[in-house]
Amino acid sequence: MLLAIIGVAIAGGLIGLDRTAVGQFMVSQPLCAASLAGWMLGDAATGLLVGAVLELIWLLDMPVGTFVPADSTVAAIFAVAVSILGSEGGVRLSSVGLGILLSILLAPVTMIADHMVREFNARIALHVQSDPVSVRKNGLARAHLSGLWFFFFKSFIVYLVFVPLGILAVRMFAHLPDQYHRAMELYVKLLPLLGVALVIRKLSVRTIDLFLSGGFIVAFVVTIVFHGSIPVIILLTVIAGLLGAKYYDQRT
Amino acid sequence: MTSERSTITTGDLLRVVGRAFLIQASWSFERMQSLGFAYAIEPVLRKLYPEQKEFSDRLKLHMDYFNTQPYFASFILGAVVRIEQDRAEGRNALADVQGIKTVLMAPLGALGDSFFWGSLKPMAAVIAVAMVVGGIWWAPFIFLLFYNVWHIGLRVSLVFMGYRSSGDAVALLSRYRFTGWARQFKLISLAVLGGIVGGIALWRPELKPEFSMPDMMLAASAMAFTLLLVAVLRRGGSPLKLMLALAVLCIVLALTGVV
Repeated sequence: MLLAIIGVAIAGGLIGLDRTAVGQFMVSQPLCAASLAGWMLGDAATGLLVGAVLELIWLLDMPVGTFVPADSTVAAIFAVAVSILGSEGGVRLSSVGLGILLSILLAPVTMIADHMVREFNARIALHVQSDPVSVRKNGLARAHLSGLWFFFFKSFIVYLVFVPLGILAVRMFAHLPDQYHRAMELYVKLLPLLGVALVIRKLSVRTIDLFLSGGFIVAFVVTIVFHGSIPVIILLTVIAGLLGAKYYDQRT
Repeated sequence: MTSERSTITTGDLLRVVGRAFLIQASWSFERMQSLGFAYAIEPVLRKLYPEQKEFSDRLKLHMDYFNTQPYFASFILGAVVRIEQDRAEGRNALADVQGIKTVLMAPLGALGDSFFWGSLKPMAAVIAVAMVVGGIWWAPFIFLLFYNVWHIGLRVSLVFMGYRSSGDAVALLSRYRFTGWARQFKLISLAVLGGIVGGIALWRPELKPEFSMPDMMLAASAMAFTLLLVAVLRRGGSPLKLMLALAVLCIVLALTGVV
């Protein structure tokens, strides 16, 4: 168990670098980070489930200017780790729900930790600028890349402290009456709708958007009338969205 | 300014591209990407200014405040390489490199935020989530592939474009229709979001709400619930509070025997 927690902390720290410090290839997005964490812990399906639920919720919490959003990578990997490591004899959907619920509580912690890292980094910048000799001796690269350690350790320490607490909570939760488990199962099933609502709020100024309604009607007809499948719905809604956007562009 | 100066090669620009992926490694509130910018451009400056003092002075100049969208920083990096090259080779000794950085970073930051964070990423993610709820397990790979074709392709080409155009933002905007694409991607995302809710009857069993009602009613109820949440969010509801409120609602429904 201890090795698994340390493994999660190391992997989580490395995946978290993609968030700000390295590349931003989006491996750190909840969908990918949670799937990777689940796969490493031997339950990719749980990872994928958590990733899909959290992806839309955190999708448009953007790092614009000096605003540092909550760390959705930590939230996703934490939820996967506590759900899998806290469950005995297979992961229950209710444990996944509790893992996600607990991950919300981590949001302010990750924001504070991110602020601290960025303040450390400011000291690095000041140090390099005030020491030109160091600059000549390739100190700039060393100083700049040392920021990677701060970003890594920020996530590493958060996992190391909070994953064991989360595991404990999930194990205690297992002994609660069945109603609480049904509640957390329902929670997991309703969260994607909250995610959809959050994205709609950011992408459209209207509550009832024409494109949203169009996509809904296409899916509704495909599902109810033609008994189609999700890939067909995706294909048709993408085509409908694209054609609608082109028509809208021409009109305006 | 001697004949020892070397001209910039494709290899030099590719080194800038490689280092640009680490531009935010030491991101801070006061300087933001300043150290990263200097780090990315350091090999080129070292080549252009063999004299230690001049190299050090130019490098320190690039440690001033800098912040833009990290992918679009590539365009400014390319432009600055060109300006530094011209300066080192005696063609444009008075060029205001800091001024050009300052002029470009804010508009490119806004453009990049709106295109990458506000439209391309949401569209890729919304499609990937639609695939997952439909039971397609390889959705994360599709997401990464689709996003990074744009991301890496643009990041590499923007360095070269910035270099060739000396930072001509008009040339950039006439070549790539970022604002038009952003609008299209947002509208496609909204259509797919509608599709996710409308196709709720086809969701994988772990995610499909189990209410005893026909598929038609389930889809209509899901859309009504989603729009209710949107209305609450528009009235200033915070996502975190809403997540907690949803958990409380689920517990109340379970304790009262509704589910």
